[in-house]
Amino acid sequence: MYQTSQLADANIKKPDPNLDIQPELNQYLLAVASDQDKAAFAKLFAFFAPKIKAFGLKQFRQEALAMDLVQETMSLVWRKAQLYSPEKGKASTWIFTIMRNYSFDMLRKIQHNKEDNLSDDLWPLYEEAEPESDHDDDHLMRAQLIQGLETLPPKQKEVVEAIYLKEMTHQELAEHLKVPLGTIKSRLRLGLEKLKEQMEQHND
Amino acid sequence: MIKHHPESTMIQAFTAGELPASLSIAVSIHLELCPHCKAIAAKMTQALADEEFNEELELSSNDDFSAMMANITAEPVIPQPEPKNVASEIEVEEKTYTLPRALSRFADSKWSGLGNIQRARLPLEEGEVHASLLQIGEDSAIPHHTHKGYELTLLLDGYFEDESGRYEKGDFIILNGEHQHSPYTAEGCLCYTVSNAPLHFTSGVSKLLNPIGRFLY
Ligand SMILES: [Zn+2]
Repeated sequence: MYQTSQLADANIKKPDPNLDIQPELNQYLLAVASDQDKAAFAKLFAFFAPKIKAFGLKQFRQEALAMDLVQETMSLVWRKAQLYSPEKGKASTWIFTIMRNYSFDMLRKIQHNKEDNLSDDLWPLYEEAEPESDHDDDHLMRAQLIQGLETLPPKQKEVVEAIYLKEMTHQELAEHLKVPLGTIKSRLRLGLEKLKEQMEQHND
Repeated sequence: MIKHHPESTMIQAFTAGELPASLSIAVSIHLELCPHCKAIAAKMTQALADEEFNEELELSSNDDFSAMMANITAEPVIPQPEPKNVASEIEVEEKTYTLPRALSRFADSKWSGLGNIQRARLPLEEGEVHASLLQIGEDSAIPHHTHKGYELTLLLDGYFEDESGRYEKGDFIILNGEHQHSPYTAEGCLCYTVSNAPLHFTSGVSKLLNPIGRFLY
């Protein structure tokens, strides 16, 4: 875990993907919120902008639109940082929400020629729920998830189960299974894709 | 008590922003009413964010973001007021309802009626997928019908019953071609519905009702 005094020279170190940088990112976002701290914003920008661009390229397959997404997302982060509250979740989850919302509105504009900017009504920025869940084992949803899980290959099943049902973090699971973080992510992605396909078949 | 929930794969697609607007509205309304699904969605959002943002991606030398960043930080920051949910109310056939947040912007929709049913169509422009608000008057039944495509019903107020049981506010019900049902409401109800094909009435005289099926679609 970083001490606050270490934040200043964090940029000298080569980022280590296995290091938990979340507390640091939360601090930067809070500094933007309270003081409009440009140095903290630059840190957020360096971390998030390339990833938002990569996400935008996947969504729109066009460089210019991907750059629009970076511009709008980071501009909203700058202007709306005061709406972020660390008790409700991580900075990266909040920024993901902004990016996902803007991207949803852009896709609607491209696909249906609608500029209604629905996203803020669908996913309010100031109220992403606390991930405290009362687990109710016989709940229908859980039963359906478990049913879907049975059809996955064992390694994907193990990962989806640990992340969604046992609520482990990616990092904890990587350590637990003694495999690289990237392996966890790719198994999770494959598993979720299969579950999604099942849903699509179900809805046909 | 809410008994019918969206499948977890649908919540997952919603949090990823991959569902059409019409279905996203339904999931969003359900989450506002169902703390359990809301908690699941929050967890999934966090997992998606971790997945997108944990990739080791550094600024490439081809990208010059510095001008963009300078422009952004030059923007004045206006203090953000605590956003509040403005309750949006509608009145249909002398009954007043409060719309959930995801529908609040549609409070001024135009209603048209056929018999005991009032409908307001939402201008979402998603091709064959139609989204509507439906108000069904008291002591009304919709005769036996099947669904050629799918029909999603999210109950906003009141309750109704069909062959499989009783549905209450917040219930998220998806029916497709395999299902045949005839819902009945004693006290009337207000629903949000999404469907991709007209209802198809199946029994005897009620086939004459197929124009209603198109009205409901
Ligand atoms: Zn639910």
